[in-house]
Amino acid sequence: MDFKLTEEQELIRKNMREFAEKYVDPIAVEIDENSRHPEELFQKLAENDWMGMPIPVEYGGAGTDYLTHIVAVEELARSCASTGFTVSIHVGIIEMLILLFGTEEQKKKYLAPLAKGQNLGALALTEPGAGTDVMAATTTAVRDGNDFIINGTKTFTTNGPTAGTYLVFAWTDKAAGRKGMSAFIVTKGTPGMKAGEHFKKMGLRSSQTSEMVFKDCRVPQENLLGKEGNGMAIAMTGFDHGRIGIAGQCLGIMQAALDESVRYAKQRVQFGQPIARQEAISWMIANMATDLSAARFLTYHAAWLKDQKQPFSKEASMAKLFAAEKAMEHTIKAVQIQGGYGYCKGAKVERLMRDAKVTEIYEGTSEAQRLVISGNVLR
Amino acid sequence: MPTIITCFKWVIDEAYIRRGSSGDLDFSAVDYKISDYDRNAIEEAVKLKDVHGGTVASLTVGVPEATKGIKDSLSRGPDKAFFAADASFNNLEPSQTASLLAAVIRSFITPYDLILCGEGSSDLYTQQVGPRLAEILQIPSISFVQKVELKDGKVVAERRVEEGVEVVEAPLPALVTVLPDINVPRIPGVKDTLMASKKPVVTIKKEDLPPFPAPCMETVEMKAAKMDRSCEKFGTDTAEIARFVDVLRKKALI
Repeated sequence: MDFKLTEEQELIRKNMREFAEKYVDPIAVEIDENSRHPEELFQKLAENDWMGMPIPVEYGGAGTDYLTHIVAVEELARSCASTGFTVSIHVGIIEMLILLFGTEEQKKKYLAPLAKGQNLGALALTEPGAGTDVMAATTTAVRDGNDFIINGTKTFTTNGPTAGTYLVFAWTDKAAGRKGMSAFIVTKGTPGMKAGEHFKKMGLRSSQTSEMVFKDCRVPQENLLGKEGNGMAIAMTGFDHGRIGIAGQCLGIMQAALDESVRYAKQRVQFGQPIARQEAISWMIANMATDLSAARFLTYHAAWLKDQKQPFSKEASMAKLFAAEKAMEHTIKAVQIQGGYGYCKGAKVERLMRDAKVTEIYEGTSEAQRLVISGNVLR
Repeated sequence: MPTIITCFKWVIDEAYIRRGSSGDLDFSAVDYKISDYDRNAIEEAVKLKDVHGGTVASLTVGVPEATKGIKDSLSRGPDKAFFAADASFNNLEPSQTASLLAAVIRSFITPYDLILCGEGSSDLYTQQVGPRLAEILQIPSISFVQKVELKDGKVVAERRVEEGVEVVEAPLPALVTVLPDINVPRIPGVKDTLMASKKPVVTIKKEDLPPFPAPCMETVEMKAAKMDRSCEKFGTDTAEIARFVDVLRKKALI
């Protein structure tokens, strides 16, 4: 087993760290406070080829493997979990699904601009009545000549207000059950599609999340992604890739929490010595470091399996489940270590803790991950 | 169209050096980087190529494990790299480094028009390698450069000196050592990093070079810097103010 990253991967990590320190750190607090999407930052990310890393060069990407993309997401999330998440879903779900299921025309028309960062991707799957229970969705796509007419409401659409390219999931044949949902590529400005107001959230506040309302939204059949009726399988493939990305995002959150905790514990003096010398604190830090290392191996292994073209659903779920739960657990400890200061606005750990919570919820709740994993193990 | 050589050193990234309780230094978890001002030199070389065409070669002397440094340099724009690699090329002192660089340039990268180096390295900062190299090669050397141009077969450089800015020119070939003010080094894009592995690298073995001299300088010990803070209080009456001024004068602060 070779546990080393390649020299290219190490250099790319270093460059993303430098990029994040130069361009992301200075605005991370403000974009969280103001719930602002930093368009200028995403343009810079695009200029440095960060918006389509694992996409082949002929489709506008940088042609790296998936693990390299995950390493970059981790470093980006270490500075701002919102920015890391936006890149993760843009690349890991929207771009990967068009790459895997799109026609050559769709890849040229939609994937290339996404990979070059010319517009953002958004996933319109979850509905007000259909979260973990995807089958409870009610959005329909009814054939009308050479088009489909989409009607329904999606919610918690990441990048909803800011995206240019949407993957929309709707029933084309409800009676067919799991084989009755289809996926469509819908572009911004298509009549009948409207994004709602950005939700005010506890954390990941810079990431734009909204409802999407579809009212007689006409989409040409050329925009069907993959085969009609294959939507559920496409969505699950999207989650497999996206979950590794979320795990990567959690690694960044945990690394930041550990860095902050070590820094503070070494400098904060109580009872005549740095609190790092108190076992209560040093053991918290030991647990953080150990869980971070474990999460990193789980995450990198899942990405490696995908790059080796081996099955990776179970491992992606495990990585996401573990990394998300540990990110929440340890950001709470990071605030605890910093005491009153950690509880105040302006403390990085305060933002980390608020950001961490949603990682246990989106792209499959921790409960859903346990369903996936147990279903796999108990077969 | 000029041939530009840009020299760089692969150094310990000081951010990773840890300090033991007794003041000893722990290097067990260190990472490495291209010396800070050498990044400016590479960037300036590539900018000159963008203006004048030609080629840029990066050049370093180090241990064989420093291949990541070669890739890092190539990801910043040079067309090829020259790497004098040997296990004994570790902790060289400036006269040895200059000797080896000169030997590589004479044997493998002649003719050339301009050599760019950082003003000093992030670790030792002796500021000797550039001028020593120029001396061995018998070419003009211009230091403390904050702006450099090529014009009509000459290099024109602005030097930042104590009294102000001095503008000098020299015929090519010449050597220039650059200050960090000269430019802002790029952050290589992902494609730049991947393309770096495809660029040619000439690896030169110790046996291919003449023997390098014994060191002129020997590092005896390396310890964490200690800052002794003294604290002297002064009152606000006339006599105390006079004493305060006197102390500042004695410390050459005024």
